[in-house]
Amino acid sequence: MPEIALTTWQILLLKVAVILVVVPMGALVGGYAEHKVMAHLQHRLGPMYPGGFHGWATTLADGIKFLFKEDIIPAAADRKVFSLAPAAIMVPIIMVYLVIPMDRTLVVEDLDVGIFYLLAISSLSTIGILMAGWSSANKYALIGALRSAAQLIAYELPIVLSAAAVAMLAGTLSLNGIVEAQNFPFILWPPGIGLALFLVFVTGAVAEMTRVPFDMPVAESEIITGPFTEYTGMRYIFSHMFAEMGHMVAFGGIATTLFLGGYRPIIPWEPLELIPGVVWFAAKTMMMIFLFLWIRPTFPRVREDQLQKFAWKFLIPVSLALILFTGAWVLYV
Amino acid sequence: MAVDEHNLSEARKLTDARKLSDARKPGFGLGLLKGMAVTLKHLFKHNTVIQYPDEKQVLPSRTRGVIALKEENCTVCMLCARECPDWCIYIDSHKEQIPAKRQGGRPRKRNVLDRFAIDYALCMYCGICVEVCPYDALFWSREFEYAEYDIRELTHEKEKLSDWMASVLPPPELEAGAELPGRLAAAATTTDAPSRTATPASKPTQTSSAVETRSEQAADAPKAPTAAPTASMQESAEERTPQATSATQVEEKIAPDKAESSPEEPSAGGGRGMDKDEGVPATDSPSGEGTPAQEPAHTHESQAAAPPEPAPIPSKEAPPSAAELDAVYKEVLEEQLARGSSPQVAEARAKVARVKAERRVGRTPTPVHTDKPVPSAPTRGEPSSPTPSGAPVAEEPQPEQGPVAATASEAERDPEPQGAAPEPEASAEPEPEALADPEPEALADPEPEASAEEDPEAVYERVLAEERAKGSSDVVATGRAKAARVRAQKGTRGPQG
Repeated sequence: MPEIALTTWQILLLKVAVILVVVPMGALVGGYAEHKVMAHLQHRLGPMYPGGFHGWATTLADGIKFLFKEDIIPAAADRKVFSLAPAAIMVPIIMVYLVIPMDRTLVVEDLDVGIFYLLAISSLSTIGILMAGWSSANKYALIGALRSAAQLIAYELPIVLSAAAVAMLAGTLSLNGIVEAQNFPFILWPPGIGLALFLVFVTGAVAEMTRVPFDMPVAESEIITGPFTEYTGMRYIFSHMFAEMGHMVAFGGIATTLFLGGYRPIIPWEPLELIPGVVWFAAKTMMMIFLFLWIRPTFPRVREDQLQKFAWKFLIPVSLALILFTGAWVLYV
Repeated sequence: MAVDEHNLSEARKLTDARKLSDARKPGFGLGLLKGMAVTLKHLFKHNTVIQYPDEKQVLPSRTRGVIALKEENCTVCMLCARECPDWCIYIDSHKEQIPAKRQGGRPRKRNVLDRFAIDYALCMYCGICVEVCPYDALFWSREFEYAEYDIRELTHEKEKLSDWMASVLPPPELEAGAELPGRLAAAATTTDAPSRTATPASKPTQTSSAVETRSEQAADAPKAPTAAPTASMQESAEERTPQATSATQVEEKIAPDKAESSPEEPSAGGGRGMDKDEGVPATDSPSGEGTPAQEPAHTHESQAAAPPEPAPIPSKEAPPSAAELDAVYKEVLEEQLARGSSPQVAEARAKVARVKAERRVGRTPTPVHTDKPVPSAPTRGEPSSPTPSGAPVAEEPQPEQGPVAATASEAERDPEPQGAAPEPEASAEPEPEALADPEPEALADPEPEASAEEDPEAVYERVLAEERAKGSSDVVATGRAKAARVRAQKGTRGPQG
């Protein structure tokens, strides 16, 4: 391999460029997958024309369409906050990708406090949502933003607790270290506890993404996409569509890293090691994304109070108990 | 039955409750997994989407897509345009003169269709125009792709409407045993007629059904007596529950056609003839029992008047036994059911028949009245009336005192038809054709029993032919022919008594 001398800055720029390509691509593919998977789960075909083959260019065409739409800012809106909010939502989501290891070396920055960073950053977009809801000068937007904030706070806790349990199992906060610690994915081992942690994490992740069973904040049938009611065109696609898809792919990657063994094969077996880590990572992430898409047409939306009750009265106690079991496992097994 | 239903609903409640309690048991999230399994299963099922412009759904062959026009059938009668609730049919036409067919005839005028357009931007596809078209010029077509880029172009002209005819199928085959449509049935009746006359009692089923069919097909039906055949259908269906009285009412209306057909009567038309005989003389002649003057008036009056009337009759006949009446009832019921009438209708008709059987007996005395002058003078005057020999009476048990023995309700029933039914008939007939009667009767003489019917049938056919020759429309022709037949029946019956 020829030695290519690159300065730290050049390497960093390259990595950022990769991320800036990966995230939108992920969103586009995720959007297309969502169309198709949901359609087929409902005996439909989904988009079939754009691009010729099974409508592969649908989301691309959608994105271009949105780019050309008029950018409307309501007269009563707080213009600065209103126009900054999409960025405040989008940037943390992109920043999540920085620490997710797609292969042993294919990671922008392997932070020692990877999990900590991840959890801190991923809840930052709540601020963007609050900004959007407040500055829109629209009651639906405000209601949606408040619901969103309440929900993110409620479900951030189970996520944090289950991630903490994973850190306890791995003995490190570094995501690369966590992957390396998984000879067997954590979802399989420790038996039961790993699966329970995974389920808690996925539930929290679905709620954080405000996807279907927990999509009260953007419930289009009652508060018209909540905080994003007043957004049009590019701002809308960044704040909502893009953010949701980016979120989904990011959480798929995180769950893969934390529970499915990341870029490592599902079982430690020599032939499987031959498959490159990126493929393993991509396959596992896609499985996770499929799971998220599969959940969406299956379950009905829960009420706001049920949603809160479920988080505080069930999920958080369960995850606390799981931390206890995990601690016992780490100590005595 | 009530008990069963109760038990059933109880059982259902129990199972529901069990299901509910099962559902409320803690499922440990297994329900969620079940749900996911269901949706996953559907992921691998064949989708139900039809990629429309690329592939097309196989539509049922008689799908109601658009309305097609068979141009050559349109006579520009404008019925469709007038009945259209949206007024979306535009018709233009001009008249053309066509030369007389015969020497010295008058040239006729004919409507020629210039424009026939349906504005599909307005059309609501109710199909009333298709229903209402008397000449089968409009049809449902299964085409449906006629969208245009401009709303004004949605007004499709006759060329396009005619193109759609290509997809119109011929009418479906009748089911086995189905009633023939109006005209065919009428033809069937006329051909039946001879055989019916020959064996009146054995043949009732077919003839009656044919006759009924004809009357139900309102299409060709302005015959005076059947004026309300459809109405009577409905009513008989509605009124099946209330017992005798309602049956009587129904009978009033059905009477004309039923009377001919009801199997238990030895001579078709006997019942009606007698009805008439009573009614007509009553109005005409003072020679009756004194009541007649009031009879044509309405029910209540005639009820009051009724009792005296039967007086002269009683000694003659005995009321039919209950068993006989039941037999009649059953017979008619079975017949109706076999024809596919709904149970309600069948029941109602059977009741009517029974009542009629009862009543006819009670009224067989009619011959007494018929001695009185009857409008159809020639017949009466005729000496040739061997017919009377009692054709209608022949098979009947002779009730001595029908009305007397009858219950109160029967007493009510009796007068009604006399007052109501005969009246319109009597007044409806135009006189001149009455002259026609004698001939057929004379022909019929040799066979006294049959003559009662044969004459009228022959009259019917002859008048029909005459009318057709005159160029009357079918409706008018059949109407007049029927009227003539009725008169003939009346006339032949006259001398009987």
